[in-house]
Amino acid sequence: MNQHQLPESTTRVTDVARRLQASLIAIGAFLLIGASLLMSGTVNAARDRDPTATVTLIPEPTPTFDMDRLASPEVPEIRSQVDEGALLYWGVCMACHGDRGQGFTAEWQWGAFGEDGDCWQSGCHGSDYFEGGFEIPRDLVFPPLSAAGTLGRFENAQQLYDYLVEMMPWWNPGSLGPEKAWQATAYLLKMRGTLPAGLVLSGANASAVPVHRRVEIPQGQFAGLLVFIGVLAAAMIAWTARGSIAHAVHHPSAEVPAGRRAKRPDFFAHLHAPTIPAMQARWRYTLGAGGMSVFLSLVLVVTGLLEMFYYVPTPEKAAISVQTITTLVPFGAFVRNLHYWSAQLLVIAAVVHLARVIYTGAYAAPRRFNFLLGLALLVIVVLLDFTGYVLRWDEGVRWALTAGTNLLKSVPWVGGSLYEFVVGGSAPGPAALVRFYSWHIIALSLACAVVMIWHLFRVRRDGGISTAPPAQRETTARITRSELLRREVLGMFVGGLVLLILSVWVPAPIAPPIRSNTIMEADSGAPWFFLWVQQLLRLGDPFLLGVLFPSALVVLLGAMPYLFVGIKQNELGRWFPRSGKVVQLLFTIVAVLVLALTLLSLVNTP
Amino acid sequence: MKKLSRREFLRLASNSLLGLGGLLGLGGVIRFLSYDMDPAPPSEYDLGPAADFPKVSRTLLLHIPAMLIHDNDGFLAFSLVCSHLGCTIEPTEGGFECPCHGSRYDKRGLVTRGPSRLPLKRLRVETDESGHIILHMS
Repeated sequence: MNQHQLPESTTRVTDVARRLQASLIAIGAFLLIGASLLMSGTVNAARDRDPTATVTLIPEPTPTFDMDRLASPEVPEIRSQVDEGALLYWGVCMACHGDRGQGFTAEWQWGAFGEDGDCWQSGCHGSDYFEGGFEIPRDLVFPPLSAAGTLGRFENAQQLYDYLVEMMPWWNPGSLGPEKAWQATAYLLKMRGTLPAGLVLSGANASAVPVHRRVEIPQGQFAGLLVFIGVLAAAMIAWTARGSIAHAVHHPSAEVPAGRRAKRPDFFAHLHAPTIPAMQARWRYTLGAGGMSVFLSLVLVVTGLLEMFYYVPTPEKAAISVQTITTLVPFGAFVRNLHYWSAQLLVIAAVVHLARVIYTGAYAAPRRFNFLLGLALLVIVVLLDFTGYVLRWDEGVRWALTAGTNLLKSVPWVGGSLYEFVVGGSAPGPAALVRFYSWHIIALSLACAVVMIWHLFRVRRDGGISTAPPAQRETTARITRSELLRREVLGMFVGGLVLLILSVWVPAPIAPPIRSNTIMEADSGAPWFFLWVQQLLRLGDPFLLGVLFPSALVVLLGAMPYLFVGIKQNELGRWFPRSGKVVQLLFTIVAVLVLALTLLSLVNTP
Repeated sequence: MKKLSRREFLRLASNSLLGLGGLLGLGGVIRFLSYDMDPAPPSEYDLGPAADFPKVSRTLLLHIPAMLIHDNDGFLAFSLVCSHLGCTIEPTEGGFECPCHGSRYDKRGLVTRGPSRLPLKRLRVETDESGHIILHMS
């Protein structure tokens, strides 16, 4: 030890001695007071006792009782939720409910507490309890918690938690707080053998975890997903390499064996024009956003279909079934994340596609009508996203559900009937949920599919995604449809991998089920693509700012190609044609406005 | 064996990797769809004190659905699920009749008329220590 530290440590020693003295005095005083209280307690208890009551004999402590059962549970250094729960149970719950959740059995009562086993006689919990103690009514039942058939009134972990956090411990209800109540819930489920291994209970999954039924969360899903991503990535590399070689070899016709018919275009090739202007098929021209939107829509159809196998569109079960998908169904969280991220990316891809069309002047005649179809698709996609968001029916979407539907009432004259048409009653309930469900899975999806096919057909009918300027029309710089198809598949690979990685590592939001008697949670709000409307609604009249203004923006966008002069011939098929300046400026203003309002809304939310 | 050209190799590799990816995805979908949403029905029912079922009585337990018979030989129970295609059979004068396809059973659950071929499923009856009748479904 260092010389210079000696004096300091000697003062510490005297300090410790002084404290030891003080605590010895305190312990002595405590024992004295305790002993006198104990005596008066037994005296009082004897006096208060009903003489007609049968005298309870205090048996000797059961010799077979293993005192190690009272020891603190062994938990690892880094404690999980259920480890914390084990300690909590040991400290708070065990005295009454038993070390194995068996309840206050005679074996436990006299084994664990010995001669103090009669909690009422010894003055601990009788009518004349010690200071800081409490009385337990003689007829209070300490229910068993772990055996089959116990906790009959609870179906899922959320209900058990709700009871614990409010009612337990019996002598100081509500003192646990949410964190400890979750720990206790987790430990109770573990005792019962119904806690899925590795699951950290929270409001976002507890409704799906049954109290009475053992569920296994299949392990090894994560590894399976990594293998899946790896295989697809390898396939992409091999496929890209193959494409570049095929590209280098310039005579595919030489491959056709003599006597066989030349290969005819397959279905997918047939969806495309035989050749496309090379300049307008480059990534830097198209940004690949339109194709990406089609791809994301396909992913949405498949994952949505899968979710429909488990989703239950009733107010009582909706949020629980979403939790079931996320928590218990094998790869359920992954499928749900895929659906969620495809939907979010679809909004972004569609907006990028719109921006590309505006800034390359592709909206001009003869594509004015297809521009309207595209705009309609954007509106349908946003409505699909909104209805899908509401289908969660949990605390996270409550604001959007309430405010979004009430916004309809603000429409003059027809507001009331519009609200009833959407909600099907005076408040969002079973009818509203089934209607949102039908809109989401059938009506809007079907409309989206029809308009999308029409949109794609019009691209062909209007002569490709854009018209090349006259100077380029004569050149032979065109690519074949197989090359276009190759680029599309490459885009799908890249988009698919981004989607897979997002879905494996970034979970889709989820919250506890809606309960009418609670205050809305702070993070409950509009989905991100409606944050700008939420911000507008803070500023004033709901109809003017929440309905009329956003609709006016859409109408303005749709009317632009019809209001302003087209693109000059020599400026066709390239970025930022000068003759489209006004339209570009207007779109930029709208985009900046929406972006600024979104940012403002994010800043305003604490 | 013919030597594989680089082009053919890449074609084979990309196709087999894509096929493998597709199989993995299919396997994932099958596992996804394998989860049971609804809990299985109880494997046993507590019917309450045995004294509630006096000797020489037949009790219809429609919630299970089953029939509990207490005769001179003791307790006997059988399922009221038709052994043909699972409809719930109805009591008649002589026994039971299935409303779906007209199978008939006598009072002891034996087939008296087709199309059903098997008798009604016998259920195990036990009396537990508290004197309750426990009906085992399996």
